Amino acid sequence: MTGTLRGTRTVIGAVGLVLGLYGVVRLLGLGWGNLLATVPWLAGVVVVHDGLLAPVVVLVGVAAARVLPTWGRRAALLVLVVLGPLTLLAVPVLGRFGAKADNPTLLDRPYAAGWAAVVAVVLVAAAAVAVHDRREGAPRG
Amino acid sequence: MSGTRFTDSLTSLLDRAPTPEDFTSPARSPQLTARVGTWLGVCFLVAFLTGVWSHLAQLPNPLVPLPTRPIWLYRVTQGVHVAAGTAAVPLLLVKLWSVFPQLFRRPPTPTRARLLDAVERLSILVLVSSASFQLVTGLANSAQWYPWSFSFRSTHFALGWVAMGSLLVHVAVKLPVIRSAWLGPEVAPVPGAVSRRTILRATWAAAGVAVVTSAASGVPGVRRLSALAPRSGTGPGNVPVNKSAAAAGVTTAAADPGFTLAVSRGGVHRQLTRADLESMPQTTATLPIACVEGWSATGTWTGVRITELMALVDAPTGSAVLVESLQRGGASSRSRMPGNVAADPQAILALTLDGERLSLDHGYPCRIIAPNRPGALQTKWVNRIEVQA
Repeated sequence: MTGTLRGTRTVIGAVGLVLGLYGVVRLLGLGWGNLLATVPWLAGVVVVHDGLLAPVVVLVGVAAARVLPTWGRRAALLVLVVLGPLTLLAVPVLGRFGAKADNPTLLDRPYAAGWAAVVAVVLVAAAAVAVHDRREGAPRG
Repeated sequence: MSGTRFTDSLTSLLDRAPTPEDFTSPARSPQLTARVGTWLGVCFLVAFLTGVWSHLAQLPNPLVPLPTRPIWLYRVTQGVHVAAGTAAVPLLLVKLWSVFPQLFRRPPTPTRARLLDAVERLSILVLVSSASFQLVTGLANSAQWYPWSFSFRSTHFALGWVAMGSLLVHVAVKLPVIRSAWLGPEVAPVPGAVSRRTILRATWAAAGVAVVTSAASGVPGVRRLSALAPRSGTGPGNVPVNKSAAAAGVTTAAADPGFTLAVSRGGVHRQLTRADLESMPQTTATLPIACVEGWSATGTWTGVRITELMALVDAPTGSAVLVESLQRGGASSRSRMPGNVAADPQAILALTLDGERLSLDHGYPCRIIAPNRPGALQTKWVNRIEVQA
């Protein structure tokens, strides 16, 4: 069994290495100008996540664990996990950065109102979870 | 500051950095990470495969001709591509949260172990960087936002291979952990802490809400719920416009009454006005425009079959066709129809959409529409069709 596992790991790792190197070759083949424009984004996404987003979420978690009663934790988690990523996903449409005056078919919705509506629905769902957990009494986790 | 003092202060700074033990949340566990990670891996695999398919579909001269049936295939694969990437955003964020303390683990002392640790960290850096890059750039592209100067299509494609490759390396490294997390004995939940089940349910809910609100605008019925989709499906003939005539710089040339379409093969040339095209046998086809940005919309198009135009210059069936637009420059200013596409009875040079004269933004005087291909190849404002030998 151990031998099979080792063989599987070797094959998956080797295939991964080949695919990854092929991607690197393709990236380098796009020229130095393209590479120099790409590297800040490759580094930037990691710096922004590890240096800013993740620490903020950890601090929010620590604060929530101290402040919130046990019955409010599941609801708070639902709000954070659903609305956090959703708001990040909505940045391009909320900011309308790609909008073009000559193309009204692009970014053609009231996105702030749409976002607020989704937030309202998630908050109502979270409130229902909190009420339920409080009635149950025992921390369900 | 002397070298020693600098090293000393650096060492004390590093000593004060948090260690994995400082992160006390009992909600993090290999069982949670493996479950979210597995579904995240599935999303990336689906996005990778549909991405490679989309790349092949856009090649002007594919090694193997891609089928023209089913007509909705590309529409579905590209919609799934964007949906998988959208679902991956909450999954990636929860996954990274669940392993964040590992970022602060100290390297082991033995040289060999230290080296292996460094290699694994490097592979994870490549994975996190390329995976996040793919999601960020893909998302911005779907809203036509380009805050960068690299070429989106070719860079997104190259890094798709890097992300898939480093993901497989990561799976190979972690396979024993993944295996025991899925198959091992159930771990007793910590009283008072948020349970794994709660986090997983919230994560699946987040992925579902993200897909429905941002990436499902091509699905009839769900469209109304896509409050955050870059396009709601409005446009002339209920088909959105990717690039307007003004943006393509063709407004004057396309509206010119003296417009003619050149059809040629070798030394044989024909010039056709729009009236000439209207007097030829007309074919109607209900076909989707499926954009690489993920949106798609069905239209009822009427116009002249490509095979009818080829017959004007005595071209044999099965010949490939080069299509040129009034648009000068830009990736969509020309396209090639492989022989099997040009021969398809539903491959047409459209003159109307939903019974109305084609709008300027949809490609007036005439545009290409053919089944099962990316919208970028459905060339608009066509003024030249050349049959290749």
